[in-house]
Amino acid sequence: MSRNGVAFVLIAGLFVSSCVAPARLSPAGEALRVSAFADRGDAQRRASTRMVVGGLEASDLGHQIEAVASFERALQVDPSNPLAYLALARHETFEGDPRRALAFLDKAEATFGRSAEGMGALPHLHGLRGAALSALGRPAESEPHLAEARRSARVWADGQLDAAELR
Amino acid sequence: MLGLSLFVTSLVFGFLTARHFIEMDAIVRERFEGRLFRVPSKVLSAPTILYPGLDWKQIDLRGALRRLGYREAASAQGLALGRYHWSDRRVTVHRRPFEHPSRAEPARVIAMRMAGPIIEEMRDAQTGREIGAVFLEPELVGSYYGPTHEQRELARLDSVPAHLVEAVIAVEDQRFMTHPGIDWRRIGGALIANLKAGGITQGGSTLTQQLAKNFFLTPDRKLWRKVQEATMAVIMEARYDKELILEAYLNEIYLGQRGGTAIHGVGEGARLYFGKNVRDLALHESALIAALIQSPNWLSPHRQPDRAQTRRDLVLKLMREQGRISEGAYQRAVAQRLRVATVTPEPREARYFLDALQRQLPDFYDGGTLATEGLQIYSTLDLRMQRLATRTLVEELERLEKAHESLAAKGSEVLQGCIIALRPQTGEVLALAGGRSYSRSQYDRCSQARRPAGSVFKPFVYLTAIQNGTLTLGDWLDDSPLEVPVPGGKWTPRNFDRKFHGRVPARTALEKSYNVAAARLGQQVGIDRVAKMAHSLGIESTLPRVPSLAIGAADLAPIELARAYATIANGGIRPRIRTFEDVVDPAGGTVERQPITFDRVIDGGSAYLVTSMLEGVVNQGTAASLRRQGLAGPIAGKTGTSNDYKDAWFVGFTPELVVVVWVGFDTPRNLGLASSRVALPVWARFMKEVTGGRIRGRFLRPPEVVELEIHPESGALALAGCPERRSELYLRGTEPAATCPEWSSRPRNPEGGGRRGWLERLFDDILGPEAP
Repeated sequence: MSRNGVAFVLIAGLFVSSCVAPARLSPAGEALRVSAFADRGDAQRRASTRMVVGGLEASDLGHQIEAVASFERALQVDPSNPLAYLALARHETFEGDPRRALAFLDKAEATFGRSAEGMGALPHLHGLRGAALSALGRPAESEPHLAEARRSARVWADGQLDAAELR
Repeated sequence: MLGLSLFVTSLVFGFLTARHFIEMDAIVRERFEGRLFRVPSKVLSAPTILYPGLDWKQIDLRGALRRLGYREAASAQGLALGRYHWSDRRVTVHRRPFEHPSRAEPARVIAMRMAGPIIEEMRDAQTGREIGAVFLEPELVGSYYGPTHEQRELARLDSVPAHLVEAVIAVEDQRFMTHPGIDWRRIGGALIANLKAGGITQGGSTLTQQLAKNFFLTPDRKLWRKVQEATMAVIMEARYDKELILEAYLNEIYLGQRGGTAIHGVGEGARLYFGKNVRDLALHESALIAALIQSPNWLSPHRQPDRAQTRRDLVLKLMREQGRISEGAYQRAVAQRLRVATVTPEPREARYFLDALQRQLPDFYDGGTLATEGLQIYSTLDLRMQRLATRTLVEELERLEKAHESLAAKGSEVLQGCIIALRPQTGEVLALAGGRSYSRSQYDRCSQARRPAGSVFKPFVYLTAIQNGTLTLGDWLDDSPLEVPVPGGKWTPRNFDRKFHGRVPARTALEKSYNVAAARLGQQVGIDRVAKMAHSLGIESTLPRVPSLAIGAADLAPIELARAYATIANGGIRPRIRTFEDVVDPAGGTVERQPITFDRVIDGGSAYLVTSMLEGVVNQGTAASLRRQGLAGPIAGKTGTSNDYKDAWFVGFTPELVVVVWVGFDTPRNLGLASSRVALPVWARFMKEVTGGRIRGRFLRPPEVVELEIHPESGALALAGCPERRSELYLRGTEPAATCPEWSSRPRNPEGGGRRGWLERLFDDILGPEAP
C-alpha cells in the first residue's frame, strides 16, 4: 500500500472511532450549564459552584449586586473555579463593563485550561468574547467568535446568554 | 431712688439673662443643626463561609462564634438567636440576621453534622433543606478613632424597640413626655432626699438635662453649671420635638467599656452586651440596658452580675408600676436569667492593615472623615490568617534573636519583619503584619518600607528572557567570571558561595540563585527590558537601569513583590491589590467599591515556565528546607539576601496564596545569615499554620506549554536510542530543533523552525522516511 493509502486508512479509522467512542464534548448544540457541575470536584469546588448557581439565580431575578457578590464569594472559597470567572464575564458583558468582561474571559480560559472543551465551555467563551467585542464596537473581531458560538450551541442563536441559560 | 435701682438691676439682670439665653441657644443650635455625633468608621473582616467538606478546626469555627458574641447553649432545642449548641457529631447555630452591602442575611438556624473535623452536611433546621454554603457575620477588625476613643452605632428611634424606650423613661425620667425640659417635682423630691441625707445623693436631672450635660458641659456639680444645663434643656425642648431629643439621648448615653474603647448609645450597647442589633432586643435585655445608664461600670453585668440583675429587676418593676408593661410581661422578663455575650475586645493584630487600607482609600477619606462619618468598611482581611501572621512574626523573630547572636537587639534597634499574604487571583490582601509591635512602631514594613530586593528579583530576568525567546528551560547558562563596564569602572558580580560554576542548566542557575549567570542573562536580554517586565508585573518603585538590577539592586516594598509574584502565580494576569470591597455610609448606601480587577500582562505559558523553575527552587534549590519542614504540595518560591546580608526575603506562592516575608533591621545591619535561615522559616511556619500542611490545587499548565523528553546535556529532543533523557517544558514554537541521536537523513521542517507535527512523526515512525 502506498504511503498515501496508509494515511487515508488511518484518517478514516480515526473518523469512525470518533463517531463510535463516547463523546468528550457536550451533545451537539448544547453548551455548559453551571448547575450540571454543582456536585463535582472537591468540597471547596462544590461549595463555590453552588454559590455561582445562586448568583445566576439572583441575576435572573434582576439582583445584579447580589449576583456579583455571590460570584466574588465563590472565588473566595475556590479562587480557581473557572465557572465563577465565566459568570463574572457574562455579567460584565451584558450588565456591566465589556472591557472587564474580556479580562474575566482571559481568566476563565486560563482556569478552564484543557477542560474547556470537555465541559462544553467553548461556545460560551467564544460567544461572550464576541458579545463583549461587539459591545466595544469591534465588529470585525467580534463576528468570528459569535459565528463560532452560534455554530456550536443553540443557546447562542440570538447572540445573548441569559443568566438562566448559563445556570 | 430705690425704684430706679431696682429698675436698673432688673434691666441689667434681664440683659444678662437674655445674653445667656442667646449664647446657650447658639451652642444648642450649632450642635443640633450640624453633626450630632462623631461616629468612628468600622472595618469588618471578610465573612467566614461555612460549607460541607470544610475543616471547622482549620477555620477555628468555635473561636469565630465566640468572637462574634455567640453563646453556647446546653441544648439545640429552642435555640435562641445568637446561641449555638456544640456536641461531638452535631453543631447548631442560630445565626443572627445581618446587613451586608450585597444583601441582607436573615436569621437562620443552621444544623451541621460533623465527621471529625469536617462539616459533613449542613441543613436549615427550620425548613430541613440542605444548605450549600452559609456566611457568618463579618468580624470587627478595628475602628478609626479620633481623639476620644469612643464607639457608637447610631440607632434611629423607629428602630429602637418600644420597650427599651419605655424602660429608659421609666427609670431615668418618667415624666419626660410631659415636662418642658426641667421637672420641678423631681427637683423637689431630690432636694428633700438630699436634705435628709445631708449631702447630694439624688439627682433631679431630666433626660434633656442629662443630654445637655453630656453634649455641652463638664460633669461637675457646680451651681452655675446646673443653671447652664437647665437653660440648655429648656432651649432644646422649645426648639426640638421630644422624639429628636430622645433619639439623641439614646445615642449619647455612656454604657460601658470594650477594652479601652468607651461604648456610647443603645446601638453599640446592644452589640456589647448581647451581640445583636438593638431592634432585636427582648424586654429583659432592654431593661438591663436601661439599668446600666446610672453607672455602667459599677453595675457591669460581666463583673457584677448580681448587682446588674438587681438593678434590671428594679427597672422592670418600675415599668410595671408605671403601667408600661403588663403583669404577665413583667413576670416573664424578671424570670429570665441574666445572660450577656462575651466581650471581645477590638482586635489589635490588624493595626498595620487598617493603616494600609486607609492609604488605599481615596484622599477624601482622611483621618478626620474616618473618625466621624460612621462608615462601615468591608475589608478583604481574613482575620484568622491575620492573627496567625501577627503571632508567627512576633514569635519567630523572638526565636531568631535567641538563636543567633547577630540578630540580637542593639539598644532600641530590634530585629523587624513583615508578612503579607495575597490571594493571587483576586488581589485580596488576606493578612498584613507590618512589624512586630504596632504600639512601638507604626512604620509598616510591608507597604511603606523599600528595601534592596536581592535575589527575589531574579525571576523577572528569567521571565523576560523566556518571553522574548532568549531562553528555554532546556538551555544552559554561563556562570563564569563576568565584567560589565559601568561609568567609573567595571562591575564584576560574584556568587554567594564565592565560586564560579561554569556552564550550568538554566533551571539550576535559578534554583541555586547564581548571581553571575543571572547578571549575564540580564545583559543578554537588556536591563531596560527587565525593568519593563518588572513594572508590568506590578512593581511601581523606580528601577535603576544598571547591570546589577538583574540581581536585585533595587529598593522595593514587600507589597510590590507580592503583587508581581501574584501576577506570575495567576498565569500572567496582574491583579489589582485590594484591601476592601465596599465602603457603606450610615444610611446603608455603598459609597465606594473595589471590584476584582486584573489585566493580562504576560502570556500564561511564560508565567507557567517561571513557576515551574520556582518550584525547583523549593524542591531542590535554596529553599529545599521547606520540604523538610513538612510542607507538601505545589509550592514555588525564591529566597533573597541583599548585599552584606542586610535583608532576608522569601517570596513563595501556592496556587491560591502568595506570601512575602521580609526580615531585617530598620537601620540596615548585617544579619550574618542567609535568607534560608531567617525569612524562610518564618514563611514555612506561617504557611503550615494557615494550611494545616495541606496545600490545595495545582499550578495549571496552559495549552501553549508542552512537555518533551530531551537530552539533558545538549538540550536536544530525545528520540529512541538517546542515552540520557529528562522531561522539560517548552512554549510551543520553541521546542528544540536538534535531536538525540542526531537525525541526519534529511533536513527537517526547514520552514517550521525545526519542529515537526505529531502526525508527521507518527507517519515517519510507522512508515519510515519517505524515499526522495
